[in-house]
Amino acid sequence: MRPFTYTRAKDPAAATQALAGNPTARFLAGGTNLIDLMKEDVERPTALVDITNLSLAEIKPITAGASKGGLSIGGLGKNTEAANHPLVRQHYPLLSQAILAGASGQIRNMATNGGNLLQRTRCPYFYEVSMPCNKRAPGSGCGALEGINRLHAIFGWSEKCVAVYPSDMAIALAALDAVVRVRTASGQERSIPFADFHRLPGNTPEQDTNLAHGELITAIDLPQNRFADRSYYLKVRDRASYAFALLSVAAALEVSETGNRIVQARIAMGGVAHKPWRALTAEKMLIGQEATPANFKRAADAEMAAAQPLEHNKFKVELGNRSIVLALQMALNGGKA
Amino acid sequence: MQDKNKLTGTPVSRIDGIAKVTGKAAYSTDYPVKNLAYAVLFKSTIAAGTIRSIDTAAAEKAPGVLAIITHQNAPKLNVDGGIRGGALLQSPEIEFHGQHIGLVVAETFEQARHAAHLISVTYDRKEPKADFEKLMKNASVPKDKDKADAKRGDVKAALREAEIKVEEVYETPIEHHHPLEPHATIAEWTGDRVTLYNSSQIVNGAQTAAAKTLNIKPEQVRIVTPYIGGGFGSKGGQWANLVLTAVAARQVNRPVKLALTRQQMVNSVGLRQRNHQKVSLAATKDGKLTALAHETTTHGAIKNEFIEPCGDCSKIMYDTPNSLITYRIVPMNVILPTYTRGPGKSTGSFALESAMDELAHKLKMDPIELRLKNEPERDPSNGKPWSSRTTVQCLQVGAKAFGWDRRKPEPGQNQQGNYLIGYGVSCGTYPAHQRPTSAIVKLKRTGNDVMATVELAAADLGTGTYTILAQTAADALGLPLNQVKVVIGDSDLPPAAGAVGSVGASSYANAVNDACQKITDELLARSGKQFFARPTASQLMLSEKLTDFQTRIDAKPLESAEEYSAHSFNANFAEVAVNRFTGMVRVNRFLAVTGAGTILNPKTARSQIIGGNIWGIGMALTEESVVDPRWGNFVTRSFADYHVPANLDIGAMEAIFIREDDQKANRMGIKGIGEVGIVGVAAAVANAIFNATGKRIRELPITPDKLL
Ligand SMILES: Cc1cc2nc3c(=O)[nH]c(=O)nc-3n(C[C@H](O)[C@H](O)[C@H](O)COP(=O)(O)OP(=O)(O)OC[C@H]3O[C@@H](n4cnc5c(N)ncnc54)[C@H](O)[C@@H]3O)c2cc1C
Repeated sequence: MRPFTYTRAKDPAAATQALAGNPTARFLAGGTNLIDLMKEDVERPTALVDITNLSLAEIKPITAGASKGGLSIGGLGKNTEAANHPLVRQHYPLLSQAILAGASGQIRNMATNGGNLLQRTRCPYFYEVSMPCNKRAPGSGCGALEGINRLHAIFGWSEKCVAVYPSDMAIALAALDAVVRVRTASGQERSIPFADFHRLPGNTPEQDTNLAHGELITAIDLPQNRFADRSYYLKVRDRASYAFALLSVAAALEVSETGNRIVQARIAMGGVAHKPWRALTAEKMLIGQEATPANFKRAADAEMAAAQPLEHNKFKVELGNRSIVLALQMALNGGKA
Repeated sequence: MQDKNKLTGTPVSRIDGIAKVTGKAAYSTDYPVKNLAYAVLFKSTIAAGTIRSIDTAAAEKAPGVLAIITHQNAPKLNVDGGIRGGALLQSPEIEFHGQHIGLVVAETFEQARHAAHLISVTYDRKEPKADFEKLMKNASVPKDKDKADAKRGDVKAALREAEIKVEEVYETPIEHHHPLEPHATIAEWTGDRVTLYNSSQIVNGAQTAAAKTLNIKPEQVRIVTPYIGGGFGSKGGQWANLVLTAVAARQVNRPVKLALTRQQMVNSVGLRQRNHQKVSLAATKDGKLTALAHETTTHGAIKNEFIEPCGDCSKIMYDTPNSLITYRIVPMNVILPTYTRGPGKSTGSFALESAMDELAHKLKMDPIELRLKNEPERDPSNGKPWSSRTTVQCLQVGAKAFGWDRRKPEPGQNQQGNYLIGYGVSCGTYPAHQRPTSAIVKLKRTGNDVMATVELAAADLGTGTYTILAQTAADALGLPLNQVKVVIGDSDLPPAAGAVGSVGASSYANAVNDACQKITDELLARSGKQFFARPTASQLMLSEKLTDFQTRIDAKPLESAEEYSAHSFNANFAEVAVNRFTGMVRVNRFLAVTGAGTILNPKTARSQIIGGNIWGIGMALTEESVVDPRWGNFVTRSFADYHVPANLDIGAMEAIFIREDDQKANRMGIKGIGEVGIVGVAAAVANAIFNATGKRIRELPITPDKLL
């Protein structure tokens, strides 16, 4: 860890202004990711602007605008509160499940919703400064491309970077078509659809998201939906808790009131790409179909056919296939096996 | 040995428990030493080669920096003084990734850490030897005579003529000890004597190694280690960090604290090596073993060998006329491997006990029956009688308690919803020894109260040594528990065995008991009286109106113990549930039945056993340290990557002890429980997974991807 200054922002304007003038300043929220990375010498901010005092923690129904009827979750609310809030549990159980599948009780008590979206990859080559990593040190190469890449991407990677994005919460948010609300450095509001929030690595893996320096996440908006009775977050990992996903699937279904026909399907995958991976091919195939294991399997096959595994993660193709089927099945049964 | 009026054998809660949970127990870095300076290590970023240059200019100018020590300015140390793993800053040579190459000492920890980032190092890099898969082919006969080929009969012929055989290779990965308390030291010089507050499983061993390495006399080194936050072997031998703290303290002329980070633990304090084990079993159709071969290939460090004895269980577990145990080793650019809980036995039993399960399956025989059929009457490796052996009882008691009869013999037949359920069994063993240990007992009477203090340079790893010694002394002196004080963990006390190799309890408790008997004898003699029943030492202190009395003993193991083969034995039972879609495994239930002689305290003993079991479950399912062969670095450097079991991974744990009174092993009949708890566990889990799914996984850990 290197020396840095520490200040506390008193309001959102002060926070964004503090960062605007200093390209090496960072917001400090729960600190559960940023401080770890500073200790590892991966992040080297010269200034931390503590934003935990800003009153941006509220969870409230949205009464106007495009997401009217939905729910707004404060960017500085804690993960624990979001997961346990009665309105989240009732209307967005998928989000609640995904948050609770991540980290540990203690960490979720510290972690904020905005910070969660911006947590950085867990790629070991990113974490160890003596290793090459284009995300940490652009131009140094990708240690994982031909290295130990069991945990890495099977979709959307580039020669520059094969890292995966680690958040569980964000996988549910991707499936729920959330909208990230941001305050820009100049004090304007802007909304970013979730699908556009995170990026694929391409030639600039150092850029995880489309958030500009100094932009503050103020809230995450969840549009209204009819998935509450049929959604499920499946997380496959090397141990039962407190491990990042080998692969995860957030699945949500809306089926016709008469019979078993799929009206809407949402599938997002974690642990497979540099961003939450919406399984759009599978989703499209399911619409209008009967909700049967055979149709789930067909959709999963179609989605996973496009996977490009690396040397050590070939298993993720089969695992992704099975996990899509199981998650859809669990969603259909209201979360029960 | 169990007696209604005795404290030993009863589940007394830890006497140090309250101090620990209230934070009063001082671990190595907790000592309020005044005027402390802080040291931070910096480490090599290559695995093989030489340092060309170290530029410390910027770091020297950084705020608070007091000294920077590298091979260029370090004092001359004795590299053969007993510190393990090298890295003593004596040469520019690099033998493994993350080797210590220097130390920054500063006024604060933060300043030292910051300055360490400002140092730049250049190297002449060599291609590291880090790909075990490839290196294995060049493995050769070890130097260690204990690991020479051990042959009995003709294994080759027996395998050739076998009616049934199993010949398979079992792989276990590098593991790390990762005790909760990372290694840490405070060094404080007073004149030419240094006090080292440093977690040490072998108090006197740490003293000797530090002294020899620093080129001073043992009396000039004092080790203080009253509490240890786990060690599992990594705090048995001592590593460079201990001595470098002393060097730094001398250099800056004030006390220095050095604590390793979790990430630094992977290449500072040893590891459990990677083992490639081939097991061959030959048997008759009715399940009698005719041959057992266990051939292990492993790696050492570049300069030094270390081999955990994977073939040990195979030497003694089963009766077979033909036996072969071999080891081959190849140097690798990693830190020196070392003793790790259940050294050799935990990993070796995975291979042996998996192979036995495979044989039972081929024979269509219950795996318990197969083991019962091959129970040896004497130690097959040396012909000695057992001091006692409980394998049969462990299996029988365990089968009943676990409900083994509910197991479906054919794999894959027990499906419940999305899960496949399976049962597995295995056996294990660990040798029982007592080592020479001295102890002092002091009695002090105030009015009608007698207070006892027992003193010895023993170590409590967190396992309950304080408590069992207080129980032992209380019984032997006729005092209640709260009138006994146990003082350990200091090299100024009488020398004692280490808390290693499961010798702690037997060595310490026998010494304390002997000392208490001796003090009673001496008090009796002093009284000059004849008693109808032997009075206790505390009664004698009162009747003789003495205020202070003390004695010392140098306890030795029984000479007759040599005539017997003494071991703890266990049987492990696991029930697993495997998700048929995702391959995730959960151990629903685990039972260990253990015959380990006298159990001094069933409560702390249970903790020891289930602690070993839980690590064994980690070994089976989650733990693996992965090396990138291109750079020789570990890619699993933190608990986010190195997965020890978490609460949710562990189901119902049960421990049963078989009652034994084995006075052939030692006077108190204590056989030790520290290691045996992990032995056989991984095999029981792997065998249960086979029973659940029909998939035989011979490569640990059994992560979900292997079960798809
Ligand atoms: C041991 C461990 C295990 C974990 N396991 C999991 C897991 O299984 N699944 C999972 O999903 N996560 C896991 N996590 C990650 C955890 O969820 C994140 O660390 C946490 O959500 C980050 O939130 P924070 O508030 O602490 O962010 P911080 O560390 O404070 O910030 C992270 C980044 O976001 C920026 N930032 C924060 N808030 C804002 C804002 N409002 N606007 C703009 N920028 C902002 C910061 O500047 C920083 O760059 C784990 C973490 C640890 C330490």
